[in-house]
Amino acid sequence: MQLLVNALIAGSLAALLSAGLSLVYGVLGVFNLALGQFALTGGYVTWWLHVSIGLPLPVSILGGVIVAAIVTWIAFEVSVAPFYRRHVFLPLVTTIAFSMILDALILLLFQERPYSIIAVKHSLHFAGVYISVEQIFLIAFTIVFLCAVAWVLHSTSLGRKIRATVQHSDAARSLGISSALLHRSVFIASGILAALGGIYLGIDQNLTPQLGFPLTIKAYAALIAGGKDNFWGTIVCAYLIALLEQLAIGLPWWGGDYIAAGFQSVVALLFIIVVLLLKPRGLFSGLRRAI
Amino acid sequence: MKRTLALGSLLALALTACQPSQEDPIKIGYLGPLTGDFASAGADTVNAAKMAVEEVNAAGGVNGRMVILIAEDARCTGSDAANAAQKLVTVDKVVGIIGGVCSSETLAAGAIADPAKVVEISPTSSSPEITAAGDFIFRNYPSDALKGIALGKFLQNAKFTKLAVISENTDFCQGIRSSVKDNLPEGTTVVFDEVVDAGTKDYRTLMTRLKNLDFDVFLANGQSDATVAEMAKQMRELGMTQQIVGTDTADSVTLLTLAPDAVEGLKPLSVPSLSEEGTGKQFADQFRAKHGEPQFGMFFAALSYDATKLLLETIGKVGTDGEKIRDALYAHEGYEGVAGKFSFDGNGDVEGIPFAMKEFKGGKLVQSELIPLE
Repeated sequence: MQLLVNALIAGSLAALLSAGLSLVYGVLGVFNLALGQFALTGGYVTWWLHVSIGLPLPVSILGGVIVAAIVTWIAFEVSVAPFYRRHVFLPLVTTIAFSMILDALILLLFQERPYSIIAVKHSLHFAGVYISVEQIFLIAFTIVFLCAVAWVLHSTSLGRKIRATVQHSDAARSLGISSALLHRSVFIASGILAALGGIYLGIDQNLTPQLGFPLTIKAYAALIAGGKDNFWGTIVCAYLIALLEQLAIGLPWWGGDYIAAGFQSVVALLFIIVVLLLKPRGLFSGLRRAI
Repeated sequence: MKRTLALGSLLALALTACQPSQEDPIKIGYLGPLTGDFASAGADTVNAAKMAVEEVNAAGGVNGRMVILIAEDARCTGSDAANAAQKLVTVDKVVGIIGGVCSSETLAAGAIADPAKVVEISPTSSSPEITAAGDFIFRNYPSDALKGIALGKFLQNAKFTKLAVISENTDFCQGIRSSVKDNLPEGTTVVFDEVVDAGTKDYRTLMTRLKNLDFDVFLANGQSDATVAEMAKQMRELGMTQQIVGTDTADSVTLLTLAPDAVEGLKPLSVPSLSEEGTGKQFADQFRAKHGEPQFGMFFAALSYDATKLLLETIGKVGTDGEKIRDALYAHEGYEGVAGKFSFDGNGDVEGIPFAMKEFKGGKLVQSELIPLE
């Protein structure tokens, strides 16, 4: 039971990060490798507003999200917009470059010290499970927020446009869907989701400047296993991988022996390889065409 | 034609003017984690090394020659350290190297500095493997081989018998892990011994397993304060109340901002705090005035300052020849540094810097007892 809770905590973080990626890949066909840095931007700005300036937490979170959205927007204009129509692989390189610039800026502004947005948590204990109030809030918030994104996707005209573009971008364009605005808003939305992930991390654990790339990798693992442009598949896989990671080292296998903790991430990558061998387009690609 | 000749002779004159190397600046290298997980320690040590160089230069240099410090980023990894050392040795042709900070750095850089006959003094590396890293490799930080003995003594005195350990997979943490296991007092057993990837921050599942075990003391053997904070926090979140001990990486006031509740009572086994009087205080005041509060710890800075000063002093005595510097370091009777009086044994390991057990008490990091080594 505690393992499930642990998986929920880790999975919610991965889900926030990878959901935006899946939208961006679905709509733009672009791999964004600066995602982890967007997350850190959100986390660090929130930390700065909350701990250094002393603003209340909700205001700080809003500030962090806004700054991250602006940074994401700049990233789009500088490193994605001029390139992605020429070749979808160009942004792969340019976003890496942008991520390095952000890494350097974060290091410059916030130095090397690790930071925690909330240092003292309120632990709860019931039914044999330990969880803090903050974690419950984070998990609930993640689910609510992802549901809100789903509602936008399925019940608004913007969402219909996004889904239409994912299914067939040329056909969508010929029907008069303005791709320029759409692409910008989807990219920025992915940055906002990532920023929330970074804030999540800063509240639950702590922020260090070199977390950016590992976060990006984590998100891509879920994206690829879930079927690259499948929103729900990606989210399910984010939770699934987290659960698998926890079960792998948390349960005794083969007659009482535990898998050494160092193999935790190997188990997750092995899972992805098996998924791709069995279903090369991702775990959920067959269930539904795209989103 | 005349003009070219004139220019040529001028050039020749200028070249000969450069010739006497006695006037050239002396280059020494620094390598350490200027970025990456352990860059807080990198910042403190490089700032302290700079301070030492600036002071020597302000006092007229080494035998009238200015000193240049060339700092390279080794990111706490062996491969980056090897690249950095290669550059320092072959391109910059440094006389000596201060660093690395992480044991992985010192070992990898040592493999290049030693054959090139360039002295390397690490101010902070503690892996037992450095003892045998080479003739030119020194350190003024005690080896972890001794830390196992010190921790063993502590466990025995405090009557802890069931030890649980989580270690990061780095040279530093593995060195401590094996040293602790080799030096357990009689009757003490290791009941939990897991190794995680470097930089892991999610310990919840390991802690969930640990909760079902019978143990009385937990060793948070992490590579940085960021990971130690998560170990302590996630352990306390699961309701475990056992004593936590840490190593040098837990000897960081940053823990108080990351997890003030969880680290209360945590005991880091580390080198002593910098003396609050005499040269120690003088150094600390100057460091604060120049670089602000240390990001990792004042003692690390002091050791780096001492290592740099000692290297420059030795160069001043015997010149820039690597073998002569090496011999002079081995022969040194005892250097009066700001961190204490120390010398080197036949392996280049430090003698004279003891261990201390500290404790987070009431939101402060205090020194609770010195653990001298025989």
